[in-house]
Amino acid sequence: MEICWGPYSHLISLLLILLFHSEAACRPSGKRPCKMQAFRIWDTNQKTFYLRNNQLIAGYLQGPNIKLEEKIDMVPIDLHSVFLGIHGGKLCLSCAKSGDDIKLQLEEVNITDLSKNKEEDKRFTFIRSEKGPTTSFESAACPGWFLCTTLEADRPVSLTNTPEEPLIVTKFYFQEDQ
Amino acid sequence: MFILLVLVTGVSAFTTPTVVHTGKVSESPITSEKPTVHGDNCQFRGREFKSELRLEGEPVVLRCPLAPHSDISSSSHSFLTWSKLDSSQLIPRDEPRMWVKGNILWILPAVQQDSGTYICTFRNASHCEQMSVELKVFKNTEASLPHVSYLQISALSTTGLLVCPDLKEFISSNADGKIQWYKGAILLDKGNKEFLSAGDPTRLLISNTSMDDAGYYRCVMTFTYNGQEYNITRNIELRVKGTTTEPIPVIISPLETIPASLGSRLIVPCKVFLGTGTSSNTIVWWLANSTFISAAYPRGRVTEGLHHQYSENDENYVEVSLIFDPVTREDLHTDFKCVASNPRSSQSLHTTVKEVSSTFSWSIALAPLSLIILVVGAIWMRRRCKRRAGKTYGLTKLRTDNQDFPSSPN
Repeated sequence: MEICWGPYSHLISLLLILLFHSEAACRPSGKRPCKMQAFRIWDTNQKTFYLRNNQLIAGYLQGPNIKLEEKIDMVPIDLHSVFLGIHGGKLCLSCAKSGDDIKLQLEEVNITDLSKNKEEDKRFTFIRSEKGPTTSFESAACPGWFLCTTLEADRPVSLTNTPEEPLIVTKFYFQEDQ
Repeated sequence: MFILLVLVTGVSAFTTPTVVHTGKVSESPITSEKPTVHGDNCQFRGREFKSELRLEGEPVVLRCPLAPHSDISSSSHSFLTWSKLDSSQLIPRDEPRMWVKGNILWILPAVQQDSGTYICTFRNASHCEQMSVELKVFKNTEASLPHVSYLQISALSTTGLLVCPDLKEFISSNADGKIQWYKGAILLDKGNKEFLSAGDPTRLLISNTSMDDAGYYRCVMTFTYNGQEYNITRNIELRVKGTTTEPIPVIISPLETIPASLGSRLIVPCKVFLGTGTSSNTIVWWLANSTFISAAYPRGRVTEGLHHQYSENDENYVEVSLIFDPVTREDLHTDFKCVASNPRSSQSLHTTVKEVSSTFSWSIALAPLSLIILVVGAIWMRRRCKRRAGKTYGLTKLRTDNQDFPSSPN
């Protein structure tokens, strides 16, 4: 009886292995490409960003001070929505509401942990719009409020709901960080 | 301490800068109300990250970071003093070229020996704080350019803008100060057609920026103090960014509707044309009902393929596939979108899955086919085993006949 079954059970096992192997080959291996990109950012008045007392400042950097410049990390969410961060996405820009007061904050959140579908992460979302070579960012959680710098140097980067104000700059240039 | 830090930050954030147009800088320094020993019971807040990098023979201002935009002198219960790290003397006492006004230390003119660390001490009734500011005074030579130049960027073929930086204190003190722009050693006067005045003398416009416009520029402001004129120079390195670096991505495929059989495996490539440039930072990804694929399908029924970049006939493409394994009825009602994005532009293309019933699907046929093969195999094996079993049965019969024969003689 054993002699009779032996060779055919081997064949059956081989067939099953082939099937599973075929199945395994269908699933692609390898890591998913990271969607975070680092950019050099400067406003239309040639000011760049740097940190002072854990606050994002816009100013003019010269000589060795240029190494203080903060690059912006951007993660696209949708066609025109992005998350913005610095320090490799470990600090994220967000719009904070306290009563009627609107403030730009830097929160210690990993940018890759943010999700568009979570309501609490909406404060980190910015709507990006291009006008010619420049880009502006409107907060999704605070509609009508735009990322801005002041004309005067060494003042904090903040949010404004009066983007046409002459002493306010809401337009930025980008360059991929090489 | 944390509350104090927040308070200082808050004060800094909400302070409104006042535009003061004083005719001349007051010569008399603010004398301290009581004798102070610097460093005594003061909280040291650290070093200001930005160093002050200036040229010798020119006026220099150091701004105390502790109260960067408030006028200290207006507060009757607080005052601010400056000292140099290697000296126990307060600044105004032993050096006529230096004086303090508000939160700003003036050095006019600066010499190379003024380089060093300066400490500002902010004191009021309740507390005392200190911070340090680094000053480096360079020789006014070409060798100093890399150390003092501001980096500014303009895009090719656009109207470029140069800004003469960090002149706020001098402009407010000397409103009629004249500013001249130079490229290298060449004065860019009003007759120059390529360079335009922006009205504001601290700005220079470059019409139709070209690669030749890159290089070192200088803006020089004349500053008058006590009847004597000084130059205030800012060096700027202009870099020209080529606009052709980043192409506008064009999504070539997929089609608006993709025919598929339910239960089948489906691969939909999103193919993006990137032009003929050397490199691109374009990223491509899929969305299902505006949700990332990995978030919409955590179990992996639908997955995103690898980012595949390649060239065909000197044209650059990037491809990311959407993989269904298998297609379900749910997919017929889902909006699938491929997005291509780079610093210059974002493009997207919608597509939907449409059921095709007539299409023969191998994966559907595979399961019953396997079953049939197994059944047929089993039957065939049984037949072979039955033959051998038949033989065995015959042998048994013979033995039975033998047993019957001996019993009959009895």
